[in-house]
Amino acid sequence: MTSRVYVESSIRQHPRTRQLLQRLNKLPVIEIEHYGEVFNPRSQNFRLQKKNPAIIIAHKNKGHMLAAPEGYGLGGDHNYYFSHMLNCLYDCRYCFLQGMYQSAHQLLFVNFEDFGDEMRRVAASHPQQPVWFYSGYDCDSLANDPMTRFTEFFIPLVASIDNAWMELRTKSTQVRGMLKLKPQDRVVTAFSFSDPVSHAQLENGVPSIAKRIDAMRRLMEAGWKVGLRLDPIVYHVNYQVEFKALLEQIFAELDATAMHSVSLGSFRLTRDHFRKVSRLYPDEPLFAQPMELDNGIVSYPVEREREMIEFCETAVLQHVPRQCYHPCNWHG
Amino acid sequence: MLIWVSALHCEAKPIIDFYRLKKSHDDTAFDHYRGNGMACIISGTGKIASSAACAWIAARYGDEASIAWINLGIAGAAQHDIGSIFSLHQVIDADDGHRYYPAPASAVELDGSACMTLSLPSDDYSEEYLFDMEASGFMYATLRFSSAELVKSLKIVSDNQREKIGRDRQRVSDLVHQHIDSIERQASSLMALNDEVAARSPGLEYWQQLTSMAHFSQTQQNRLRVLWRYLMNRDFDAVTLMQQFEEHSPRAIIKHLEQLSYRDSEGLRP
Repeated sequence: MTSRVYVESSIRQHPRTRQLLQRLNKLPVIEIEHYGEVFNPRSQNFRLQKKNPAIIIAHKNKGHMLAAPEGYGLGGDHNYYFSHMLNCLYDCRYCFLQGMYQSAHQLLFVNFEDFGDEMRRVAASHPQQPVWFYSGYDCDSLANDPMTRFTEFFIPLVASIDNAWMELRTKSTQVRGMLKLKPQDRVVTAFSFSDPVSHAQLENGVPSIAKRIDAMRRLMEAGWKVGLRLDPIVYHVNYQVEFKALLEQIFAELDATAMHSVSLGSFRLTRDHFRKVSRLYPDEPLFAQPMELDNGIVSYPVEREREMIEFCETAVLQHVPRQCYHPCNWHG
Repeated sequence: MLIWVSALHCEAKPIIDFYRLKKSHDDTAFDHYRGNGMACIISGTGKIASSAACAWIAARYGDEASIAWINLGIAGAAQHDIGSIFSLHQVIDADDGHRYYPAPASAVELDGSACMTLSLPSDDYSEEYLFDMEASGFMYATLRFSSAELVKSLKIVSDNQREKIGRDRQRVSDLVHQHIDSIERQASSLMALNDEVAARSPGLEYWQQLTSMAHFSQTQQNRLRVLWRYLMNRDFDAVTLMQQFEEHSPRAIIKHLEQLSYRDSEGLRP
């Protein structure tokens, strides 16, 4: 339950702020100078705060478009990511955001136009070549769309830049905003799934698998490109049976050949994030499993990971053509 | 453990009476009351006094797994009625401009307000804030020991532009007393949160016994702590576990606990 709204004084009168405050008019509003005063202090407990997070409305000054990490993306040469929000409505236990930020408050930047200007500039710096912009790295792209109207701004923007492509990563079913827009070939909505047991145990607040499949189906029927992100694959004793069941459930409803792309990757966190998250949740079985450190990343021991990826890859390729499959190779 | 911090005895008296806290005669630095998993300290007036009292009592209860804090006191306001109660959502130190934000972690909330902490008394009230003399010192100190979700400052208006009763001790106690039910609800929800945090450190009483079973290096102790905390949180019995060690070498103990953790976690059962 959202508890309150913090607003930076400088953007209190921004049209997007006013519209948000109108929508959130039942919540107490507290004016602040800069979002960092509330978001960054160390003495915050992410786990406690997640019970009643606040919304922080702020202005982003720099770093609107950032180069994506090595190995991130769908094979394009120019990959960037951007975050109009930091933190997520959902509470997935494997999520790196718990280790990344001190605060569980949802931070929303309202100066979309500055993101747009930077996107144009970055796209123009790679003329005639496709440039991918990924949204949904530091937040869920669609979960707050009815409130933020993110898609209403960014989809037409991408459509207006000839060499721009955008991936919207989500676990949400909030596709109504997109369904009101004209489908765009260079926008891919990528839905993340974990198997049913992992979903039940680790994805708090995330819509059911069936509802997310239905959201994908509605987008596909409307002519939108849709991708499938089977990430993270989490180990448990029944992961093979459950993973196959997940694929059966998805492809019973959706045309696998119409899928834009499918990727998969095993559970992994940077060492610092893993350390912080496992301290926050000392009772969590996910963090008590055997893990190894490889190149600054904590993940399953090599042999277990290889076995998991091979099994899941084989299962995926029984449904989807190889050319739309993109393994996530974080080992470098 | 919940610690109440008030500048004056008359502000704390309704709490001391309500929870039947007993005065500690072991200490002379500050007046200090305790009982029922709580303590109450009378800091004296001013932010430095409040900081000092918080630091002193935090050290006094340093063995507690987690501490929650409530600063309870009176404040001045321009317009609010005498007796209005607020939970501070922003505390501003008038001297250095530093701002603190107690974090909302409970659904049970009083009306919120910003408060400016002054070093000297003043009647020059602005519309925007409450005014007090302790809150910033309280926040400064307590945020070093506890997270912002476990720190609250409750202020009751004793002075406004029409009336001033902040110097009348009996009336100050009466003002606090009239809100004792809602103050008690705030305390209960904060204690529930604090218990939740404290419960994540079970089995600490066996930690010393465990680490004395072999000579663990610092790295091994770190690993041991993670495993022990997990198994204790999963309701393994500490005594039984320690009896199961066949070999008392650091590696053997860690390996044994690892195997138990791996087996327990592979089903992802909550």
